Amino acid sequence: MNNNHIIGVFDDEDALMEAVHEVKQKGFVIGEIYTPYPIHEVIEAMGKKTRFTFAAFLYGLFGALGILAFMYYTAVIDWPVNYGGKPTNAFPSFIVVAVVITILTVTILSLFTFSARAKIYPGKAYILPDARSTDDKFVMIFDKSLSVNNSGDLEGVLKGKGAVEVYEKELKPQK
Amino acid sequence: MDTKVKISKGFQYTAIAMIVAGAAVIVYSFIANPGRAWANLLLNNYMFLSLAIGASFFIAIQHISQSGWSSMFKRVPEAMMAFVPYSGIIMLLLYFGMKYLYHWADPGVVAADAVLQHKSPYLNIPFFFIRMVLFYIAWMVMTQLLRRASLSEDAQGGMMWFEKSEFYSKVHIFLLAVTFSFASFDWIMSLEPHWFSTLFSLKNFVAAFFHGSATVVLIVIILHERGYFKELNKSHMLDFSRYIFMLCTIWGYFAFSQFMLIWYGNIPEETEYFALRWHSGFKVIFYVNFLINWFLPFVFMLPQVLNKNIKVVKTIAILLIFGQYLDLYEQIFPAVMGSPIFGITEIGFFIGFAGLFLFITAKALAAAPLIPKNHPYLEESLHHHVH
Repeated sequence: MNNNHIIGVFDDEDALMEAVHEVKQKGFVIGEIYTPYPIHEVIEAMGKKTRFTFAAFLYGLFGALGILAFMYYTAVIDWPVNYGGKPTNAFPSFIVVAVVITILTVTILSLFTFSARAKIYPGKAYILPDARSTDDKFVMIFDKSLSVNNSGDLEGVLKGKGAVEVYEKELKPQK
Repeated sequence: MDTKVKISKGFQYTAIAMIVAGAAVIVYSFIANPGRAWANLLLNNYMFLSLAIGASFFIAIQHISQSGWSSMFKRVPEAMMAFVPYSGIIMLLLYFGMKYLYHWADPGVVAADAVLQHKSPYLNIPFFFIRMVLFYIAWMVMTQLLRRASLSEDAQGGMMWFEKSEFYSKVHIFLLAVTFSFASFDWIMSLEPHWFSTLFSLKNFVAAFFHGSATVVLIVIILHERGYFKELNKSHMLDFSRYIFMLCTIWGYFAFSQFMLIWYGNIPEETEYFALRWHSGFKVIFYVNFLINWFLPFVFMLPQVLNKNIKVVKTIAILLIFGQYLDLYEQIFPAVMGSPIFGITEIGFFIGFAGLFLFITAKALAAAPLIPKNHPYLEESLHHHVH
């Protein structure tokens, strides 16, 4: 299978965003964009939406209600013990635990959700077109078979929008 | 482009009518029931002072973080700061009401009370007013410097005033941390001189920042509805409601921590404070306080559908102003009056002070162009866009 890609490397965010809008307008299909830090505009330009925040809210709700129910069950129903004359349902002191456990629940479940959705797991063979995107460069890749259309050459467009480098590369999963 | 806010005649008359009606009730209640009148005076003056101080803290944070998004709204908190000197004059009047409010000010009570004698090097009338004057001098100087720097920036341009504003803001938040903490200890906590809580000043400081910011948001929205601030967009609303959301959580954190630690520690000299606020009819207020100041903002400012909606944010901001009243009512009234009373006196005082605050803020707002001219981040603010 021909897995050749055209890779455009950019120096800064503004040049990248201009190039993204330009190539989209000319009808090229962007394969993927790699940036050193998250850029919301990129997610928007790629036509992607996230329901992640809503999932996190549900995890928080589950965590808070779950831990409160658990503490109520253990401290009041199953094993009521008198601590220093407090009522067995010492609700104000439950809240502190509930806050901490809610944060833990949201963190862990969000991590798993994200890993599952992005198909990331330990020992995965990854594709990294240009290692400099983990440093200070912004990298845009195009599938070569999709990068030819009648709006002119892709390389010229990318260069015109300030790409510091455009090259071709066959992508292979790395270990 | 020099848009100045025009104060309509109707608004002016309404504000003056509120002040006059309030003044009539205030005078009457001082004759009829001075103790209750002093409690109301302290409550309302402290409340509107806290809104002004909260607004000054809001603008200081914007300067220090060099926020771009908020720069076009900075006249609003600046106008609110104009209330500080007026509240200072009113606060000095407490001199005549000390015996009604603070029982540590009564020599007869102190003579029979070892704890108050021990605290008397700090809690005595001359030092109380020396501190009060020092606090107000610090606030008046700093708010004036911030306001003048902002106006000079309009006139002269350049980066100098931008940098100066940031420097003044740093000094201001440092001074506020000390002065406002002691101010809340002095004026509110010493109503019950036997009780003490170190979280008290933090809670009151955050409450001032919280409700001051909510008032800034409310004034911005009202001006937007009147045709000013046409550039106000969903991104600004998102940032404003993030402030409310973040602050309601911090307020809830401090208010709850103070309560929970005292409840759990269960030491009589500390629990007396909340014992008083759970019995004699204050229990409902205790819960409604958490409902208005934490739960409702938390729930309504969470989803983006609601927190970008101007009407929803406006409703929450109005609610929060009453939230601040309720919070202070719960702190002051059990100590002074002993039981929850609410009537024409309370309403009259609130209307009078609200009228005064509106009048002064509107005057200060109309005195300068509504949108600052030479702020370096102005363009960013006018076209603010977050995703």
